[in-house]
Parts: sequence; C-alpha cells; structure tokens
Amino acid sequence: MDPPDLGLWPTTKGLAGLWREQGQLVLVGLACALVYSTLSLAIPIVVQHAIDHSIKPTNGHRESLWPYLGVIVLLGAIRFPINFTRRYATSRTGIRVEWRMRELLYQGYLRYPRAFYDVHATGQVVSRATNDLYPVRYFIGWGMTQGIQSLMMIFGIAIVLFVVNAKLAVIALVAMPLVGILTYNFGRRVMPISREVQQLKADVTEAADESVVGIEMVQAFGREDDVQGRFNVKAGRVRDGVLRQARVEGLFLPGLLFLPSLSIAAIVYFGGTDVINGHLTNGQFYLFYQLLLQLVWPLEALGWILSLGQRATASASRTFAWLQGIETIPEAAAPAKLPDGPLGVTFENVHFSYPTGSEVLTGVELEIPPGEVVAVCGPTGAGKTSLLNLLPRFYDPDEGRVLLGGVDVSTVPIANLRTVVAIVTQRPILFSIPLRDNLTAARPDAPWEEVVAACEAAGVAHFAADLPDGYDTLIGERGINLSGGQRQRVALARALIANARVIVLDDPMSAVDTQTERHLVTNLRPALAGRTVLIATQRLSTVEVADRAVVLDDGVVVESGKPQDLLQSGALFTALFGEEVAVA
Amino acid sequence: MPKRRSGLSRLKHYLPGQRLRVSALGVCGVLMAGAPVAALLIVAHAINHGMVAGGKSRLTRDVIAYLIVMALAYVLQTTLVRGLARVGQNIVLGLRQDLFDHLTTLSLRYFSQQKAGWIISRLTSDADALSDVLSQGLTTLVVNTLTIIAAIIGLFVLDWRLGLVALVILPPTLVSGRWFQVKSHAAFLRVRETIAIMTAQIAESVSGMAVIQAFNRERAFLAEFDRANAANRETNTHAQYLNSIFFPGIEALGVVAMVSVLFVGDHLLLHGSIQVGTVTAAVFMLNMIFQPLQELSDLYGQVQSAGAAMEKITGILDTEPEIRDAPGALSLAVAGHLQFDRVTFSYGREPVLHGIEIDVPAGNCLALVGESGGGKSTTAKLVGRFYDPDEGAVLVDGHDLREVELRAYRRQLGVVLQDPFLFSGSIADNIRFAQPGATDDQVADVARAVGVDRIARRFDKGLLHVVREGGAGLSAGERQLISIARALLADPRILIFDEATSNIDRPTEILIEQALDRLLRGRTSIIIAHRLATVRRADEILVLEHGRITQRGRFDELLAAQGPFRELAAQLHGVSESGLQSAPVTGSRPRSSASVVSSEPE
Repeated sequence: MDPPDLGLWPTTKGLAGLWREQGQLVLVGLACALVYSTLSLAIPIVVQHAIDHSIKPTNGHRESLWPYLGVIVLLGAIRFPINFTRRYATSRTGIRVEWRMRELLYQGYLRYPRAFYDVHATGQVVSRATNDLYPVRYFIGWGMTQGIQSLMMIFGIAIVLFVVNAKLAVIALVAMPLVGILTYNFGRRVMPISREVQQLKADVTEAADESVVGIEMVQAFGREDDVQGRFNVKAGRVRDGVLRQARVEGLFLPGLLFLPSLSIAAIVYFGGTDVINGHLTNGQFYLFYQLLLQLVWPLEALGWILSLGQRATASASRTFAWLQGIETIPEAAAPAKLPDGPLGVTFENVHFSYPTGSEVLTGVELEIPPGEVVAVCGPTGAGKTSLLNLLPRFYDPDEGRVLLGGVDVSTVPIANLRTVVAIVTQRPILFSIPLRDNLTAARPDAPWEEVVAACEAAGVAHFAADLPDGYDTLIGERGINLSGGQRQRVALARALIANARVIVLDDPMSAVDTQTERHLVTNLRPALAGRTVLIATQRLSTVEVADRAVVLDDGVVVESGKPQDLLQSGALFTALFGEEVAVA
Repeated sequence: MPKRRSGLSRLKHYLPGQRLRVSALGVCGVLMAGAPVAALLIVAHAINHGMVAGGKSRLTRDVIAYLIVMALAYVLQTTLVRGLARVGQNIVLGLRQDLFDHLTTLSLRYFSQQKAGWIISRLTSDADALSDVLSQGLTTLVVNTLTIIAAIIGLFVLDWRLGLVALVILPPTLVSGRWFQVKSHAAFLRVRETIAIMTAQIAESVSGMAVIQAFNRERAFLAEFDRANAANRETNTHAQYLNSIFFPGIEALGVVAMVSVLFVGDHLLLHGSIQVGTVTAAVFMLNMIFQPLQELSDLYGQVQSAGAAMEKITGILDTEPEIRDAPGALSLAVAGHLQFDRVTFSYGREPVLHGIEIDVPAGNCLALVGESGGGKSTTAKLVGRFYDPDEGAVLVDGHDLREVELRAYRRQLGVVLQDPFLFSGSIADNIRFAQPGATDDQVADVARAVGVDRIARRFDKGLLHVVREGGAGLSAGERQLISIARALLADPRILIFDEATSNIDRPTEILIEQALDRLLRGRTSIIIAHRLATVRRADEILVLEHGRITQRGRFDELLAAQGPFRELAAQLHGVSESGLQSAPVTGSRPRSSASVVSSEPE
C-alpha cells in the first residue's frame, strides 16, 4: 500500500516547483542576500581604510576619521532594512511552502481510500502533515537562501583577500574548508543518533500512555513497581541516547571554534611578519582577521544546510510519494444514474481480501429486495464488516459485483453513492463539535422536526436533555465525553437523519446495555420503514428487528431465513443465538 | 517536605548527587569562556609588541601561546558539552522517574478528572522540553553568558576607557533584548496554540475519515482545515517578523558599538595613551559580546517553554495522593472476610452510597445488581480501596482497610473490568501481568483452564500473539477472557468481577461463563452482574438502587418475593420478553446447551 519514496531527482524537482510557486518572495530574498553580502564585505573594507588612512596612517598623513565613520554608519543603516527584508522574505517562503504542502497532503487524506488508513496509524498520518514538514520548511525558508548567500560570502571574502595579499590569503584559507566538512560530517554522524533518540522517546510515550490509561489495572493488582521499573528503563535509554548524541557533539562542535583559530594563528604569525617587514598594513591585517571571523559562519552554515537538505529531501520524498503514489477509489468514466425510489441491494459472487491477508469473502451471493431489513450474523471474523463496507465503496470487491437498484456501485459517482447509502461504523466516530452539528453532519439542512424524531428513535433524546447545553453541548476532548453507548446512539441518529435510502448498521448497539437496547429496538423499526437496511449484530434482540437474517461463515452466506425459522432449522444460527432462548 | 517550589528552581532537587561534577563543570565553563578573551588579549599583545614594535620573537611566542590557549579551549568545551549533557539528563531522568512514581500513587479520582492525554504530555513533551534546554540549552546558556562577562572584562583589561564605551552600548542592547523576549514569548505561545489546534484538526479528520467520506463531508472539513492551516501560517509569519527585526537590529547596534570604539580609540591613539593593536582587539572583542547575545536571545524561547513545562509538572508533583498508607499500616495475609460497616460515599456533593451494610464470609460470592448509576461499581471500587468511604468503614478480616498496607492488600486482590485494558505485548505477557515471574507452563495452564487457548488459536503465534495497546483486534469478550486468565494466575483472595454489558458473541460468552466457574472457586468474590446465569451463582444478591440496598437474599428467595429483583430479572440478559422466548426462569439449568456445538469441549 505504501508507495516507495521518491528518488532524489524527482523530489528535488517537486521541491523546486513549490519553491518557484513563491517566486516573488524568493527573488526578493535572493536580491537582499546579494546586497547584504556586499555590505557585509564593504564595512570591514571601510574600517581597513579608516585604520590605514586615519587611525594609524601608513604614509604619516593623517586624514579625518569622520568621513569613514559616517560611511560605516550609513552602510550599517542601509544593511538593517536589507537584512530585515532578507530574513522576513526568506522565512515567509518557508512558511508558505510548508503551508502549501500541508494543504496538498490534507486534500489527499480526504480522498485516500480506507485501505490506506488500515495500514497507516493515525499518528503517522498526522505527523506526516505536521512534524515531518518542518525540515522542509527550514530548508526552504532558511537553507536555500542562506546556502546561496554563504557561497556569495565565501567567494566575496576569498576575492577580497586575494586582491589584498594572495600569499597570505592562501595560507589563511587552507584550513577553512575543513569547517564546512566538519559540520557536514557532524550532521551525518548525529542524525542517526537523534532519530534513534526520537524513537526512544516514542517508547517512553508508549510506556507512559499504557500505564496512565491502564492505571486501574496497575493499582488493582498492586503492580506499581513493575511499571515503574519498565518506565525507568525506557526513560534511562532516552538519557543514554542523548548522552551518546552529546559525545558526538562534544567531539565536533568545539572543532568549529578551534579550526578557525588555526587560520587566525597563521594570519597573526605570517601576517604579523609581513607587517613587521612592511608588506602588510595594520588595516590590512585587521581586514584579514575580521574577514576570517566572518567566513566561519557561512562555512558552518553550508555544512548545516547540506545535512538539513538530506533530512528535508528525505521527508519531502515521503510526502511526494504519498501525494503521487496513493491510488484513490476510481470514479467511473461514464457515471450511471441510480433509479428513484427504494433500492434493492445485490451481492453477486463477491470475493474480497485485504492486501495483507487471505480472502475474507469467498463468493457471497445475497439479494435484498427494496425496503427489506436484513440482519447479517456470524461468528467473529466471518466477514460481516467487510461485506457491509463494500456498499459505500470503502473497498471494492476483488471479484464479483455489488449492485444497488440493479446498478453496479462502481459506476455510480462516489459522492452520489454515499448520499444514498448511510453507514454506522462499528466504532462510533463523533467530532469535537456541538451535538447538534454531529447529528446533522450528513445533512446540515435537515429540518429540526426530523432531527428530533431520529433522536427519539435512536435514543439520543433520552440523554440529550440531561447534557449541560442540551443539543448545543460540545462533544469530545474539549467538551463532554459521551459513553460508548451514547456515542453509538448519536451515530445511529446521524445515519437516520441522513435521509438515505439504504442504511448500513455495523453492530450499531454493541456498547448499549441490554435494557436500553430493548427500548431502542422497539423504536427503531418504524424509523427504518421504507428503507433497505443491513444490520450486522451479535444480539438476538437486534436480529428480531429484521425481516430476514443471513448467517455468514468463512466468507459465504450459509443460512438465510426468518429469525424464528432459523432458530428451528439453522445450525449455526442456533449456535450463535440459541442459548439466549434456552436460558429462559 | 521542603518549601514548595514551582518553576525551574525545583530542578535543584536533583543536583545533590552530582555536586562535584557541577562545580568542576562550573570551573570548566569559566575557563572556557575566558579562553577566547585571553587569546584575543594575546593577539593584541602580538600586534602592539610584535608587529608594531617589530619583535619577531615576541610574535612567535604570542602565536604559540595563542594556539595553546585555543587548544585548551577545545578540550574544555568538549568536557563541558558532555558534562553538562550528563548533568541535564540526570536531572530530567530523576524528574521523569519521580513524576511517574508519583502518578502511580495518585488515586483513580485524579485520573478520572484529568484527561489521559494531558497527563501523558507531562511525562513526555514537557519532560522533553526540559531535556532540550538542559542538554543543548544549558551549554549555550553557560558558555554565552560567561563569554559576555569575560569579553566585557576583557575590554576593561585592554583599556578601561574602551570598556566604558562598551557599557554605553549595553543598555540599549539589553532593552531591545528584553523587548524581543517579551514579544517573542507571546508570539511563541500563539504559534504553539495554532499548531495544537491544527494538529488536533488533522488528527480528528484522520481518525474520523470513514465518517467524513461516508457522509460526503470532505468540503466542510477542508474549509475548517484551511482556516487552521492559515492561522498557523499567520502566527508563524508574525514570529518570524519579530526575529527578522531583532537580529538585524542587534547587528546594527554592533556597528554603532564598533564606530564608537573606533572614535574613542582614535582619540586615545592621538594622545598616545593607547596602541593600535588595542583598538583593533577591542573591535574584535565587541564580536564576542554581540554574537553570544544573539544566541542567548534564541535560547530564550526554549527556556520559556521549559519553564512553562516545569510549572505543569510541578502541579502534578504537588498533588497529594488521596489514598496512602497510614503510619504503621498492617501487612495483612487476607483470608477474605469482607464487610461494609454503614458506608456512605460521594464523588462530589451528592452521596452515591448511603449507609451500605455488607457481610461476605470468606469464600462466598456476592452479586450486585441494579440499574446503572445505582452504586454497583462504586461499591466494588471501595473494596479495592480506590476510594475511602466518607463515613463508615470497609473491613477485611475485621481490619479497617485504611489501616492495612495498601499495595500488599491489592496484591491479594483480583480485578476483572467490564472493558478490560490490555497492555501492548503478547497475550502471554498480559496474562502474566500480575505474576511476572510465572513460567510459560503456568501461563499455558491458566490459558487452557479459562479457554484463552481457543482465542489464541486464531493467531499464528498463539499465546505469543502481540496485541496492540488497548487490545485492538480482539473483541470485548476475548479481552475479558484474557483478563480472567490474568486474574486466575494472580490467584487472589478477593475477586472483583464487573460483567460486560456490551455485546459478546455467544460462543465467547459461554467460554466466559465456564471460566468464571473456575475463577470464583475458593475465593471471596464481588460480582457486578448483568446476566441471569451469573446472578444465579451468587451466595447472596444485593439489589442496589440510588445508592441504597433495596433487596437482598438468595436467587430463588428474591425471585419468589415481590420486589425490584423480579422486574430486573425480566430485563436481564438471558430473558427475552419478545415473542421468541417461552418458559419463565426456573431453577438450575444445564450449564451448556447441547445445541452449542462449535465451542463446547464435551
């Protein structure tokens, strides 16, 4: 399911494309970088002249210092807004590229099929659109421009130094490229460790998560010592990881201070000798020294940018792989139209398997006339959920056809199909919005009377009145946490409100307690009138709502008939539900 | 307990073990900061006495001295980076462990009031924020602060008048630094906020994608996402705007400082009271003041967030555990005689239990029935001493639970929850949870005894099948069965069993019923029952309504008597009122019906 990461070249092309999208900002940033570099070279040169002509005149004739100081202040004053613009434009480029990539990813997420979400954990999908984008943002919002500017500075400084004194320039610059190499190697050495530390931190999170969520178990059995021990081991590993990282840092980072000092020592010695011999002025000595100091950062930056670039392309290649490689459920080229009125459902020799496993449905044949309510029963793992998920095209069958009103669902436009089919998933999913909006999610313009009626039928009205703000109560993390049973009832009401002609209920009342379920079942039947309904369930009382029950076993329909009849004749059906009656 | 501390100062708690290392690192830091300043003074000397005065040998000596000082700085910095990381990490580790240990002692009341995600963030992202500051940040902070001080001292050593010039520059620098700190902290908080909102939005969409797609809500969610994404872009842009003003501003101030030094230096040079090397060195020395200032400003945001993190962590550490051992608590070998002596209890203001009286002789089984909200779970939680009663007492073997050593008591307790939580790890690990020392054979025996081996057969690796956290991939019934095996292996004296209300497929349900037979044998048990078959096993049944016992007795007595139990029995699982059911509930029945073929051993 996961497409391979993109190669370096297509990734670079993709990034360059996004970079170009921000063309104006990029150009402004680069132009300012050029001016900034020039000014940063000019200021020391003016200082050099100030020293040589005024402060310690080489020819004995002392000029006034004021013009020099004036020029320096002026250059400094111009450099300020230029530097501001350079930084601001550049970082905005990065922010906008990040924003854009996130937008593209999110649009992709909305289209990706269920199969995608089956194999990717929520955390992974979320971090691909958040944390994983930061290297890209820093690379584009800082690295690209800074890299170009660093090259400008390096070449500019080298030219100035060579013009002033070629021999000294060679001596001074010999050690400097080492700074860039050192930084680059540091990045390469430290990255795997820091990735490992991230992983170790994730382990700590997992340990913390489990113990906090499972605290009742831990305390109930008095096993605090065990979990503390396990947590401590994992927290200790994080410390050891960070310390390994610090060892590498301790080895490399001081080198960034030490290497330039070798060059400076060379300048002081050889340059100093030249000064004594009269080959170099005091001002020129200052210039050498100052420009060497100014050279350190661009070289360091190049090293950082190279290793940041690796991270950025790695993360961008994963993002582009998703954007280009995930196949969405195909829309029919020539869309078919569904007939009006109640729709029948037909499964024709349906085979289905998940990418990771063996065949779950092995030739299901099922014909449901319009308006019939069918209970789909079967032991755990029989394929009930898989069968129901084919109807709204969460998945497509490997073989065979699913027909709605005689039309193959794969030829119906997906949006249209999903308006006609409403589903209640096994695990009820509500959003962190007011209850009212959760209920009308499928049909925001539903008349209020219909909403209330559905809430009565689904047993939402029963508890909605007790919520702090009634139907306006905020649900979820930031609001009220509903119980599992309450959530299921809201999901059920939502599906009823959708006004769909086909309703698919996947074990819709599994978390509702037995007493409540009985009340619900009685109310539910009239609310379903006129619609074709498929209900997967484990409970006899829910089966009783249905006109007909079908039993799935090992991916095929093995029994079918009225629930009462099946209790007499159906072997598997009796095994599943018989005991319930036998108790009585 | 020492005076309560909040914020970063609390971290000092974790220093004592490392006092020697910290002082050694302090010395390292001072030397390390002093080294480049000293090196620059050597360069000034080289210019003044070597170059200008023409002393070649002086120059050579100075260069060698310079290299020695810088080499020393290299060694010192290596030591400092590693040493400070160790100090910082030891602090974080100690804090993390203390925080976790403390959390495990807090009562269920605490955990029910705080969202799990909130607590976990304290242990993870907050501790990580501290870790970042303490490992990389600490070095930056120490070295740069000391360097600024050393450089200012260095300027005074070069020439006190030039030193004064630097002091003139410092106030506007500090003022703008302060302005930036305040502004960027606020901006940083807003960025955090918008990132949190955006991340939450994405997370919610991803986990709810099935519904979004099923109901064609893509457009509405995209619109909402666009708002969050744009808000995040704007706050980030604002934060970058501040950065873009501040750092060039500091650079401009640096130019002003340089011009001032050149101006004053020139005057002094003219009067002959200073040498050119001193002026040049002073210009370089200014670099050593302004460069660290920039790095410190960068660090400030990190320190701020670490402070905020520490405040939240402190909040947890200062929460007193509600339930803890009394001094001289009794380490009790439990026989299993359980009593409630007029127990009244409330979570908030309204009591949920009113003067409950219970007496369960050792080895007996007590079933609690009644509508939800009647106080069944609360009663069970008081047995486990997850809460203490407001009035009255819970007694085990005649001892008030509050006088019994808590952990020792709980190790003789077994709990099977309604919706059991499984830890990530194999099924075997989960069974072994309460008896980590149990052998594979013991685990396999227990698994066989309660039918977990049947569940395990579904998976390739059997009992070694790794369940994901929370037990995804297993049905509620299967999880409960594993949790029964866990309790059986723990071999507790007292057992609390909260029967699942949710759907369990019939074959699994039968397995659970049989497992229960095995589990209840020979121990005191409290069962919160939802099924008639379960109620029937009990030696005594209590009907709890609105926190009061409205009926008590044996199964047949209760069924024969007029009262709430009869109504309840009609609703309990296993008795259907619909047309499908026939005969009324009568005495005992065969444990398994012959029609159940697939899952029966016999």
